[in-house]
Amino acid sequence: MIVRGAIGFAVGLGLWLALAPPYERALAGAAETILRIGERPAVTRLEAKSGEIIVERGDFPPAAPRPGLPAADLHFNFVILAALFALVPPFRPGRAAIGAAILFAVHVFALCCQVESLYATRLGPWSEAHYGTFSRNFWASAFHVYQIAVRFAAPFAIWWPLGGWESEQQGRQKREEKADRLANRKKKKSRGRTIES
Amino acid sequence: MRASSREETPDRTAGRRRSILFLVRFVVLLGLFALLVAWKPVNDAVIVPFTGGVAHASAAVLNLFSEGVTVQGTELRAQGFGVDVENGCNGIETALLFGAAVLAFPASWRARLIGLVAGFAAIQALNLVRVVTLFWIGRHRPALFSTAHTVLWQSVVVLAGVMLFLLWASRQKAPPQAAA
Repeated sequence: MIVRGAIGFAVGLGLWLALAPPYERALAGAAETILRIGERPAVTRLEAKSGEIIVERGDFPPAAPRPGLPAADLHFNFVILAALFALVPPFRPGRAAIGAAILFAVHVFALCCQVESLYATRLGPWSEAHYGTFSRNFWASAFHVYQIAVRFAAPFAIWWPLGGWESEQQGRQKREEKADRLANRKKKKSRGRTIES
Repeated sequence: MRASSREETPDRTAGRRRSILFLVRFVVLLGLFALLVAWKPVNDAVIVPFTGGVAHASAAVLNLFSEGVTVQGTELRAQGFGVDVENGCNGIETALLFGAAVLAFPASWRARLIGLVAGFAAIQALNLVRVVTLFWIGRHRPALFSTAHTVLWQSVVVLAGVMLFLLWASRQKAPPQAAA
């Protein structure tokens, strides 16, 4: 299991390193579309650039610095998902693709929460003018929960129904088969001794 | 006629149902644990002192290699380099994930307790190696720090937590079919 996990981890890491820039562009595009649905007027623009998601708003003063959100923190858990899918033989590419698609949706949701959390809590008087106490707490908590629990647990929670639970059963089966084999061997030995005596 | 491996046998259906119940329990427990550790009184009284303990233990190990590390709160400092051990670097998140999975899995309370204690110790031991190596990388190979911190070690610790859970779960007896 450790060897399979290590191979999956290495492959996942390679894919992650190679695909991060286009993945971040897709992520920024999808999150921007969702955020703009809830905006009147729709002003948010997200741009993936050098490992960051740059947040641009049409109503930001032209000279103001544009906040950048570290993208790797958001989607590094792709590597964990890849390693988990490699744990259980045989590798099922269809299920892995479904898992990756669900994780992409989780990343889009997390990026939306992160941008809203930024708007609600980090833009000083602008945040206070546009977000009430409840909204500020809600968006800040949503992203905090992603950071402390969801980003670590999401790969496991996605993988488990797509095949992870089978690995637990396979592991138990192997252990029981091994125990049966040992018991049979002991029985044969003791029978042999009885015949000899 | 041989049964196809894809065919839904009663065993497989029961296993799938058990797995979905496990997942629901796991998500609920993890949500509760995450809210608990995010709650300021718990964070201040438990998590921050625990993280300080992780920082002190890491400094003790680093000083065995003559790194000359001092600790202030949760910060590790040596000449020309310093890191703050924050939430996410103290092994608590992986321990919560492992704990939620162990408690959600159908097993005896004795087995769960043994799993929780042994798993927590193993995760913290691995996390200690992580903090020590990350400090060393940050000080001596700073160009590698970001990748090692964000991707490599975070993933390795979470994967170790999942594999520990699978190892523990595979040692539990299968529930009787009627109960499944």
